[in-house]
Amino acid sequence: MLDYLTFGLLAQLFINGILFGTMYGLAAIGLSLIFGTMRIIFLSQGAVIILMAYCCYWLFTLFKIDPYLSIPIIGSAAVVLGAGLYQGLFRRAVKMEDKNITLLIAVGLMFLIENLMAVCWTPNPRSISTEYTSSSIPFFGLAISFTRLMGFVMAMLSTAGVTLFLKRTLIGKAVRAASEDIEAARLVGISPHWVNTIAFAIGIGLCGIAGIALSTTYPFDPYFGFIFSLKAMIALALGGLGSVSGALLGGIILGMLESWSSFFISGGWADAVGYGVFLLVLLFKPEGLLVRSVKKV
Amino acid sequence: MENHLLEIKDLRVSYGSVHALWGVSLHVPEGSIVALVGANGAGKSTLLKTIAGMNRPQQGGVFFSGKNITGFTPEAVVNAGIALVPEGRRLFARLTVQENLELGGYTPRARPFVQESLERAYELFPRLQTKSNQLAGSLSGGEQQMLAIARSMMSKPTILMLDEPSLGLSPLVVKMMFELVEELNRKGMTILLVEQNIFQALKISHYAYVIKTGEIVLEGPGEQLLGDPEVQNAYLGTLE
Repeated sequence: MLDYLTFGLLAQLFINGILFGTMYGLAAIGLSLIFGTMRIIFLSQGAVIILMAYCCYWLFTLFKIDPYLSIPIIGSAAVVLGAGLYQGLFRRAVKMEDKNITLLIAVGLMFLIENLMAVCWTPNPRSISTEYTSSSIPFFGLAISFTRLMGFVMAMLSTAGVTLFLKRTLIGKAVRAASEDIEAARLVGISPHWVNTIAFAIGIGLCGIAGIALSTTYPFDPYFGFIFSLKAMIALALGGLGSVSGALLGGIILGMLESWSSFFISGGWADAVGYGVFLLVLLFKPEGLLVRSVKKV
Repeated sequence: MENHLLEIKDLRVSYGSVHALWGVSLHVPEGSIVALVGANGAGKSTLLKTIAGMNRPQQGGVFFSGKNITGFTPEAVVNAGIALVPEGRRLFARLTVQENLELGGYTPRARPFVQESLERAYELFPRLQTKSNQLAGSLSGGEQQMLAIARSMMSKPTILMLDEPSLGLSPLVVKMMFELVEELNRKGMTILLVEQNIFQALKISHYAYVIKTGEIVLEGPGEQLLGDPEVQNAYLGTLE
């Protein structure tokens, strides 16, 4: 009866899930860094990703710059934007006891970006098509979309880069220390503003990468970002806060869940399953599915 | 005239409408161990936190080597040469022992000497060297306290402030901890010690202050306070 359920089909679902999930993962890493250091729920993350996708689209249509060649341009612009967002919007608010203020700023920023994008690029969905966007690579009888594979590779490389930065450099170690205990970090001389600026710069920098990957794989519109932020939050809940690879893995798990449930149940159920799992994880293992509980010192 | 390395003048601190310190004055001469003892909630930790720049005083000042450092940020205070080992140790549990130490030498003043300081820390605490790649959260309580002290020593402080270093440690480790404080002092470190373990603290300190609900109620050389009937009744119970 289930004879259409071939190995090839299952493998294809699996791979699609992973490839799309890495994009949730990228957004989740940024959220995790920003939440970890500043306790800001940065809801505008998704909107910034879409903004970056539009920048990539613009560079492509106006200046004929290939999306993959725009990585250094958009990546560095995003890093600067991140540092600017912290210094301009969050520097003062982050010191306040009431964390609702930073959340409200993030929500306000999201609406602002969404509506600016709607004005600049109209609410109609856009997508980038080049000679390679519809090409796919044969892989043991499966067809792997070239752009999704590139998205996957970009996500892996940037995750590895961020991990190395956090593990090997002194400022990276300071960011990790500040995410654990900002008061203790200040007592050894770590300036919170410097660490926060770095966290924001990396988080938004990753939005740049995710935006490029997204613009080459899916049509997008100005309002797609909010859903993306929510998905990133689910990925974070699955992977647990405080670990870069955990956030990426959480994204991949969510991508797979969605890809399997949309096939086995129906397309409309993909989101419902995602949010359902989100609630279940928050109820029963709020520290994250993949986190071994570290005892508090 | 004694050389007062650290001088606190008429310090008043309140949290909202609750007064935590009511005009506290004390001084710490260079090369000495000064103890600040008192019951829970008397304001001991508040005083150390205020010196470290974590609280802003409403009135009064903190002077370090004659320089007014009142209102400095914690980063500036530690860079100036005052290190606090906070209550409950506050290590970075998910970082390794070595990473904790490296961050201890984060200040601009200490950073050029991190390698030297690391070697010195491992010399002083060989146990930490054997565990240098373990997560700080996996250490035992005594080892964590050693790491916390070693981490603040990495900032090359002129004065070391210890907030309840014996808290939660077994009696044997507590004894070691006090010996360590004395040893650091013999090597020239000036120490301001806050303790609930009043007997031990008074025994090793050159001078001590007793603080009660935000005010200094008694002061004198440690040995003298140990013999003071008021101190004995209020804080020590019957000795032995």
